[in-house]
Amino acid sequence: MRRGFESMLQDKSGLARYATYAVALAAGAIIWQLIASRTNPAFLASFTATIDAIAGMVQSGALGRALASSTLVYLTGLGAAIVVGISLGLLLARVRLLRVGLESYIMVLYATPMVALIPFIMSMMGFGFAPKALVVFLFAFFSILYNTVEGARSLKPEMLEVAQSFRSGEWGIWRDVLVPHTLPYSMTGIRQGIGRGLVGLVAGEFFLSGTGIGLLIMQSERDFDVPGLYGSILVVTILGVLLMGIGRALENRFTAWRGLNR
Amino acid sequence: MNIPHPIAAERKEPSASPARANARIRVQGLAKRYGALEVFRNVNVDVGDREIVAIVGPSGCGKTTLLRCIDGLIAPSSGKVEISGVEVTAPLPGVAMVFQQFGLFPWKTVFNNVAYGLRLAGASKAEIRERVPRFIKLVGLAGFEDAYPYQLSGGMQQRCGLARALAIEPSVLLMDEPFAAVDAQTREILQFELLRIWEVRPTSMVFVTHSIEEAVLMGHRVVVLKGRPAGVFEIIEVDLPHPRTRETLMHPHFAQLREHVWTTLMDEARAAELQLQR
Repeated sequence: MRRGFESMLQDKSGLARYATYAVALAAGAIIWQLIASRTNPAFLASFTATIDAIAGMVQSGALGRALASSTLVYLTGLGAAIVVGISLGLLLARVRLLRVGLESYIMVLYATPMVALIPFIMSMMGFGFAPKALVVFLFAFFSILYNTVEGARSLKPEMLEVAQSFRSGEWGIWRDVLVPHTLPYSMTGIRQGIGRGLVGLVAGEFFLSGTGIGLLIMQSERDFDVPGLYGSILVVTILGVLLMGIGRALENRFTAWRGLNR
Repeated sequence: MNIPHPIAAERKEPSASPARANARIRVQGLAKRYGALEVFRNVNVDVGDREIVAIVGPSGCGKTTLLRCIDGLIAPSSGKVEISGVEVTAPLPGVAMVFQQFGLFPWKTVFNNVAYGLRLAGASKAEIRERVPRFIKLVGLAGFEDAYPYQLSGGMQQRCGLARALAIEPSVLLMDEPFAAVDAQTREILQFELLRIWEVRPTSMVFVTHSIEEAVLMGHRVVVLKGRPAGVFEIIEVDLPHPRTRETLMHPHFAQLREHVWTTLMDEARAAELQLQR
């Protein structure tokens, strides 16, 4: 039986889907190359020149060092945001006093553009590793906290009644009810936090002391190394796509019981 | 205007309800207030060992609140509940509740939902492996052990809720409108399933429902709650033969009892309607 191309695209695991992605990306690269060949190379590096630049950065070891340094900052900030965000979120949902007490601070901080806090962090903590990790933390933290609190509060009271009726203790309520119910919501927050944290990483590396991938971007800009500039930006982009993919996979992994992604 | 009614005329005072000799559950002078709102007052009901008492009343009369007081989920404002001679201040072991919206944990499989109460009661792994499949089979869910609730129909979800309650081998089952959220046909099937299971493993049961038919079919006695605040208006002995089956519905006495409960309940609904019209 013949299957239409449309239905092949809908098939999530299908080869057709990935083939289409590849073709679209290749087409994009060709268009980029064509436009660049007609543009002043001081503004726009061609696709091939960009790839060459990335290859050069890999060979010289500059990219590897930059990524290693950035990854450490990023994972520290994000890891702390995940741990603090989820545990504080669950506590806020379960302990009324804490929620009422901290609600206004959370609202204020959530509404503050984090970039505006960077000068403040610099004056408080200087230029080292910790302030940069803190920037990543702040960028990622609130979406994790917010999604966790909202998720935990959406728990139907009946679920708690069931736990109480079967004589569950507080620890059992967390283990059997609160955490498994809230985790998918936290995962959504983590997925958002992964993206926001990357923004925080680059912003921190720009505005605090230049290190890692942020420094790579700034250096190539300063040296009028247009292919190098495009190359380092492309690396950040690919990094972002990969991280979002990981985030989405994590989210799906923890939401199987909701029956949304069959 | 006051509408006199042959049955409504004399309100049988709850204190007149005969104390059962071997009462498993003893509800004494129970009242619940939320601020100025008095939900029910002076409720006295005894439930005998292996007796099914159905509680019927108009929606909002506090049936569910009463059941939660019996389970110990809600503290009464006054009066007390005793189960097997122990005053209820929090849910007791050996008492299990079946919830109107099933109350299954959507992140647990059927097996783990059924095992939930057993695990909390401290059953060993071997016990769980032995008992859980037995109760899954008893409620007719064999083959669905690894399914998640979203993969089951409403009727199957409530079968799972029932298995979870039965698995701890309770001496008291509290049923909170257990079949109200499933379609009419499934409801009928589940009613007879529950009666069949009760014949195999009889427990004391409080069965809250707003269906008069269901109350008469399930109950050995039917408690009519009504009024504002609600109180026990009448307790009706259902002297229909056991086991109750589909044939019970055809029994002429079944129709009589249903009519009796109906007029007892509807009298007030009519009065309320007339009050609104005035």
